[in-house]
Amino acid sequence: MKRLVALLVVASAVAAAAHSSQPAVPPSILVSRQLAAARQLRVGDVVRLAPEANGASAREFRVAGIYEPTPDPMRINAPKHEARLHLPDLLSLSADPANPLALENVDAISIAVGPGTDPAAYARQLSGRVPGLMAQPVRAVAGEAGLFAVLERFHLAIAIVTIVASTVFLLALTVMLVDERRDTVGVLRLIGLTSRRILVQVFAEGLVIAGAGGLFGILLALGSQGLINRYFQWRYDTALIFVRITPDVIWRSLSIAVPLGVAGSVLASWALLRRGALSLVRR
Amino acid sequence: MKTLPFAVRTLRRQPARAALGILGVAAVGALLFDMLLLSRGLVLSMQQVLDRGGFDIRVTATASLPGAGPRITDGTRVAASIAALPEVDEAVPLRFGEARVDIGRDRPAVAFTLFGADPSRRRAWTVLRGHDLRAGKDAAGAQMLVNETLARLLGASPGSRVTLRPSCRRAAEALPPVTVQVAGIARFPFDTIAQGTAAMNRRDLAAACGEPQDNAADLILVAAAPGHEPDRARDAIARVLPDITVATNAQIVGRLEESGFSYFRQISAVLATVTTVFGLLLITVLLTVSVNQRLGTIAALRAIGLSRARVVGDVIAESALMVGVGGILSLPLGLVLAQWLDRILKRMPGLPEELHFFVFEPRALGVHAAVLIATAVLAALYPVRLVARLPIAATLRNETV
Repeated sequence: MKRLVALLVVASAVAAAAHSSQPAVPPSILVSRQLAAARQLRVGDVVRLAPEANGASAREFRVAGIYEPTPDPMRINAPKHEARLHLPDLLSLSADPANPLALENVDAISIAVGPGTDPAAYARQLSGRVPGLMAQPVRAVAGEAGLFAVLERFHLAIAIVTIVASTVFLLALTVMLVDERRDTVGVLRLIGLTSRRILVQVFAEGLVIAGAGGLFGILLALGSQGLINRYFQWRYDTALIFVRITPDVIWRSLSIAVPLGVAGSVLASWALLRRGALSLVRR
Repeated sequence: MKTLPFAVRTLRRQPARAALGILGVAAVGALLFDMLLLSRGLVLSMQQVLDRGGFDIRVTATASLPGAGPRITDGTRVAASIAALPEVDEAVPLRFGEARVDIGRDRPAVAFTLFGADPSRRRAWTVLRGHDLRAGKDAAGAQMLVNETLARLLGASPGSRVTLRPSCRRAAEALPPVTVQVAGIARFPFDTIAQGTAAMNRRDLAAACGEPQDNAADLILVAAAPGHEPDRARDAIARVLPDITVATNAQIVGRLEESGFSYFRQISAVLATVTTVFGLLLITVLLTVSVNQRLGTIAALRAIGLSRARVVGDVIAESALMVGVGGILSLPLGLVLAQWLDRILKRMPGLPEELHFFVFEPRALGVHAAVLIATAVLAALYPVRLVARLPIAATLRNETV
């Protein structure tokens, strides 16, 4: 199968020596699952890759395997048509023959520091020793992904607005429900129950209802997270996880929902209990 | 008494309940309105930014972003051949580079984006203070425009002189420093919040880069001639120059809509749906509880002669009133909320300062109104059913006893 496609090529120096000892066989490459699906590629197929869009200087490669690209939120919309070549193969394919240094040029070097070495200190040392080189610890680069911090703040803001809207509705509902039980509360007061006793009952009721509501919400979220993940994974053709209900999320949701529900019930009842027992039974 | 005034009185009888219900609708409506603004906000904003300079078409060597892909090697000749087309009014080649200014031994150099543009009637920037670049080559007395950020970093103002080290090859260079005069302070359309940007005449930039004869261009901005649609001008350019990439502003926005901006469209669709369902459920519950509490009153009204249609109309009017007033309140609330959310999202790194996530368009208002009307009608369905099927005698007996 010989096809020419535009794709992102990543090179690795791994096993380069093994490759160079077998010049007669087309060099091996890995292709991403998305590229393999788009071009109906299978392991063992021979493809032609060219550095130019017009197909000039194309070379043959054998598909040695198909891989799932590492999920990368920064490339969520990219088509993920990728191939991985051995570094010498990529350099010989793409290097400018007129530039003698081209075969030694790379875009980045990944370094694994030894045990006990501080990556940040090592990166600083390296940057200082080699002018023109920028070394950064991977964690620092990940920390710079302010995009996700911003998205987190945005989602938090949406959650706050939703909570405010829910609280208003909750208050409206509890006001109505308490009003509906006005006569009952009046009778309870007349037969001797104190306001405090009734308030404790309202509190307990509110706790049970808010707890049940909170649990239902958590179950709904747990049930729908798979649906949401599957939809977005299909939409963006990625293995990224978009929604993950963690114990921390559950705890935070319950710690907001339950007190809010209880407070709504107690507040609405408190206004009613401040009235006299006779006025509650409309006498 | 007519239906609407009656519904008003019903709500006024329970002011706290009515106020809370309306506030709840306003909050939900505001969120819905914001999600509608978000769904196309970036696209509209990008379109506005692209259209602002008056250029309709962007020409590059490949489909890569300008500055990221290969250059058009003979940019001035290509621009001239484009400008000669009857469908084209103006074609301006741009060259992108970088520069550094040393501001002291103990302080890091200020690095910024530097681009060169040929003199033109339309400008890709807006001059805020000082004056625009002089036309023509003037290497000895080269001028540049700087944006507010760069002016602040350099402590520069119109008339200041700045010594910079340009870099035009996307690789480490050690070119001799060049002193240029700051002609003015300008706003550039795709500047990020912390980005320093400067513009020079393209030939001045080429001379500063030590290649005065280099005519390469990263991007050619094209304005369609009056009376010619950008699509026609694009087709004409593509016919004459088939090896380059030509895209209208609408096409660029369309591509972004398909790729980069789809996340916000998806998230806004999900949130708008959840918000609407949430609002619908809550209004239904409010109306149902309200109707249940007034069953005796409603049965009495039926008994003294009000028709079924009339009491049903009252419930619908009550729903419409609650959703209508809440919906109207949701608009200013939504706009304030949109500004807050926009400020949060605009902290994204690398985002052009002039881009906005929440952009108003009349269509959003129409969809908002339609969704709220549908919500009011749907929310009233169950309570309407209760009222319509209310057994008058049995209800009166139960309520009285």
